[in-house]
Amino acid sequence: MSNNAPISSKNLTKFYGKHRGISGVNLEINEGEVFGLLGPNGAGKTTCIRIFLDFIRPTSGSAKVLGMDSRSESLEIRRNTGYLPGDFITYEKLTAEELLQYFANLRGGHLSKARVLAERFDLDLSRKIGELSRGNRQKVGLIQAFMSDPKLLILDEPTTGLDPLLQQEFHALVLEEAASGKTLFVSSHVLPEVEIICDRVGIIREGSIVAVEEVATLRKQTVTKIAIEFEEAVSKADFEKIAGVSEVAIKDHHLTCNVTGSLDSLIKLAAKYTVVNLQSGHPALEEVFLTFYNQSDETAKTAD
Amino acid sequence: MLLNVYLKSLRDSKKSIIYYSIGTMVLGLYVTLFYPTIRDSTGLTDFLEQLPEAMLAFIGDADTYTTPEGFLNAEVFGFMGPMIFGVFAIIAGAGTIAGEEESHSLDQLLANPVSRKNVLLQKAAALLTGLFVLSIALWIGIIGGSKIAGFGLSLIGTTQAIFSLYVLGGTLGLIALSVGASTGKKSLAGGLTASVGIIGFLLDTFLSVVEALDPLRFISVFYYFNHNDVIINGINPVHCFTLVAVVAIVLIVAVWRFEARDLRN
Repeated sequence: MSNNAPISSKNLTKFYGKHRGISGVNLEINEGEVFGLLGPNGAGKTTCIRIFLDFIRPTSGSAKVLGMDSRSESLEIRRNTGYLPGDFITYEKLTAEELLQYFANLRGGHLSKARVLAERFDLDLSRKIGELSRGNRQKVGLIQAFMSDPKLLILDEPTTGLDPLLQQEFHALVLEEAASGKTLFVSSHVLPEVEIICDRVGIIREGSIVAVEEVATLRKQTVTKIAIEFEEAVSKADFEKIAGVSEVAIKDHHLTCNVTGSLDSLIKLAAKYTVVNLQSGHPALEEVFLTFYNQSDETAKTAD
Repeated sequence: MLLNVYLKSLRDSKKSIIYYSIGTMVLGLYVTLFYPTIRDSTGLTDFLEQLPEAMLAFIGDADTYTTPEGFLNAEVFGFMGPMIFGVFAIIAGAGTIAGEEESHSLDQLLANPVSRKNVLLQKAAALLTGLFVLSIALWIGIIGGSKIAGFGLSLIGTTQAIFSLYVLGGTLGLIALSVGASTGKKSLAGGLTASVGIIGFLLDTFLSVVEALDPLRFISVFYYFNHNDVIINGINPVHCFTLVAVVAIVLIVAVWRFEARDLRN
């Protein structure tokens, strides 16, 4: 484990009784990057995060956060870390301002940045947390995580259940904070979010890290589902010839196929015909996994 | 009121402290204002002396019942006082850490740079402060009531008895807080501590007349609280210290367990 990595873990393992949380997780996050931990629900993302923050203790292995031991130096770690869970639950009877003031007091800070963020996210701080909509409650969570300008931010599925507009605003904030030199660790179960905000992504499945990739590399390897409706009949063979295109099917001028990597060649060929409609679907996470299993472990596919 | 965990906890229980304090003050007033009618009723002592032993174990001493201290000992410190203090303390103690954990706000609190031990001790201090307010209110009610009703009352005895009641409340409250902090389970913390209180009460009152059970009174919190009839005989330092020592041990175990265990999600 390197000493200055914002987060590093060695054989991190957690069992809840007989149930697996995570097993043998080795991670090393670089300073200043936005690292995404991608995996389906129950894969162990939250377990990792709760160990980093010392809410739970590893069964074996160890983790260092900001170069400090997650157990013995947790207080100092938390002083320099902002945390936002997917469902921000806190004291419902306090107003947003009171809550932020309380947390700022515990951190020895002030509310100046919180007020700026509240303005930016159009949040009324005078309302009670219990009266806020889920989206507005999550805004309070977001503000408390960012307001103390921590070196490291740990965000556990931060945009789950938020409307797309708010997600966009949130992504913009993450990118700004990253640009200012902060390190962000973001867990997610949706690939598009990770693609937008992360530099690197670790894929976790059934408690183990199965791949760590640059997002750019991942994007090249991910499969996009494309459906195009043409005005006239098109040649299936022509489309099958394009590199990276697979599973081509044509029915009544409707073409569907999967594209790995760039869409450029497909679009150029399609443009020779009259296109009525075009839809692209984000690949299911499972398909992204399968891409990786096919590379790293041929048996994984059959095990599924 | 949001400077730290201690003040925040006090703020959370502000309403409950106010209502319970009104309750203890009214109890003090009611009993003292009622006392003259007992004092002036003839033949009550004779009647009490004929009661079965088990009833007297509950009511108190027949000889002293018609004295101000004896009457208060039976009516305030025998049952109502411990009940009000106990219910307040157990609800507050069980709810403060286990309650936060069950309502999922504990994670977010502990994401701040504050240690679990620190949270536990500040919440314990808040609970003791709340009980202190209840004690003051009871003291005002009793002393005020005795002045209004115009009878003399041992100030030292009353103060010591209320202090002993405070220690009993603190014991039950901190046991509840400790069980909650050790397990994260609010109903277990409340239920277990209520059992300690109820069984302790029974062992020191009704069950104490059962000879076979008599030795068991030494495990009763009520024995250490008021077996000595504090308002009449003064506080028994050994008894009082026993409760304090029990609480200290329970708290040490609670800090150790709370620091060591996984928080529930």
